[in-house]
Amino acid sequence: MPPTAGLGLKPEHYADALAATAQGLWFEVHPENYMSAGGPRLSALEAIRQRRPLSLHGVGLSLAADAAPAPAHLATLKRLVDRFEPFVVSEHLAWSTHRGTHQPDLLPFPRTKAALSRIADNIDQMQTVLGRRVLIENPSLYLPLTGHDLDEVDFLKALVARTGCGLLVDVNNVFVSASNLSYSAEAYLDALPAEAIGEIHLAGHGPDAGGSGLLIDTHGAPVAEPVWTLYRRLIRRVGPRPTLIERDDEIPAFATLMAERDRAAAELSALEMADA
Amino acid sequence: MPELLAFQDAFVAAIGGQRAALSPWLDDTDHPGLTVYRNTIAKGCVDALAANFPTVQSMVGEDWFRAAAALFAREAPPTSAALLDYGAAFPAWLERFPPAAELPYLAGIAHLDRLWTEALFEAEAPVLDAETLSRLAPEGLADTQLALHPSVRFAAFEAGLPSLWRAARDGAEDLDLSETPETLLLVRRGQATACRVVGLAETAFLRACRDGLTAGEAAQAAASADPEAPLASLFAALIADAVFASPL
Repeated sequence: MPPTAGLGLKPEHYADALAATAQGLWFEVHPENYMSAGGPRLSALEAIRQRRPLSLHGVGLSLAADAAPAPAHLATLKRLVDRFEPFVVSEHLAWSTHRGTHQPDLLPFPRTKAALSRIADNIDQMQTVLGRRVLIENPSLYLPLTGHDLDEVDFLKALVARTGCGLLVDVNNVFVSASNLSYSAEAYLDALPAEAIGEIHLAGHGPDAGGSGLLIDTHGAPVAEPVWTLYRRLIRRVGPRPTLIERDDEIPAFATLMAERDRAAAELSALEMADA
Repeated sequence: MPELLAFQDAFVAAIGGQRAALSPWLDDTDHPGLTVYRNTIAKGCVDALAANFPTVQSMVGEDWFRAAAALFAREAPPTSAALLDYGAAFPAWLERFPPAAELPYLAGIAHLDRLWTEALFEAEAPVLDAETLSRLAPEGLADTQLALHPSVRFAAFEAGLPSLWRAARDGAEDLDLSETPETLLLVRRGQATACRVVGLAETAFLRACRDGLTAGEAAQAAASADPEAPLASLFAALIADAVFASPL
């Protein structure tokens, strides 16, 4: 059975993940959390991979930095890809490395034509080293930067055209960014090229505790209803895609996350029934 | 300089407090989004340090720990996206950190937390077990080099810091530092790091093996370190601890 709805895999859920029986269930991890020589995380992932499809979703390659991807990081990623044979490899349209340091966040940049060339080169290099197509995810944005030559959808389309990469659409990020930067999430989703979309992410967000009115992509709450509504709109237009429930903070019981995952699976199968 | 690099420089400067650096790309009104990025970066670093130095945090409390970790992260940000390896320099930094001066054992505690993490994530390798060892002729054993398993770590202290660390890690509230010199031996066994306090003889034996000496020389080193030590049973215990790599 092809992957339908999946779940971000957390170490506290390894045993539950091994025992899970849901049809079409798959898991996704950040490869950075498995970049060790050995140890229990790699062993657990090996065992789970025996039973389930896996996606590797990078957070640290820093494709939108003005530098080529770090060779050591890319080589380690390649070893993980070779070992675990994921059905999807993805990264973000963001940067985190700067002059030898790593800032653990997904940082914004002005979407200039020069940035487009640099990032396309970086994606090319990633795909060449890994020997496969990768998906690029839209980020959550918090700052109204100026100096853009392209809007985000056009920038992503240009990357697809130049590199042959696909897109990972994070619907929650679209909702959060659209709210923070005052644009239409619906118009954004409607403009994405359907054929390029290889995966969808759903996660929770929350209001900025500082009271700024910004929405924060916390991955620390259930998926919000307006995000489910946008998700339904997107898959009705583009068709079913492997869909992931992401949760990285305030992690509840596995069964609680599986209930959200099952809801996504139900949305996907409702779509297929409507098509039949 | 390429504009993208200039932007990255400006962004990092703005996160560090030099807000004006971003003015080519951001108007001068108040932008709480900068604080969001600043807090997310800091939280990523501090959470990683908290995960990697749990005993330090349990001894100083969460508030003290997170404040110190945030300062460390500003001085020594991660150099890799693999944050499970972040904080190699944290123990030495704590040693120089003025507010930690009242807690002279804290850097040692941090060092043991670091060794625990290193042992956990080290490379896999087959273990030399008693059965394989028994196939070596006794006269051959003395001339054999016993390689330590990659996950073995040990650290010797002039006082009982290892026992203090173990008690703190187990959640004990009353912590006493004995004056007896102790060595902590750590090794990954199965899917977890195992550890125990060992004495002068084992320490000398492990050091000799690490330095590439033969088992016979290691035994001599152990006997000189502690002439009273029961070498055969100490050696059997190290085998049971799975500290040697199989040559096969």
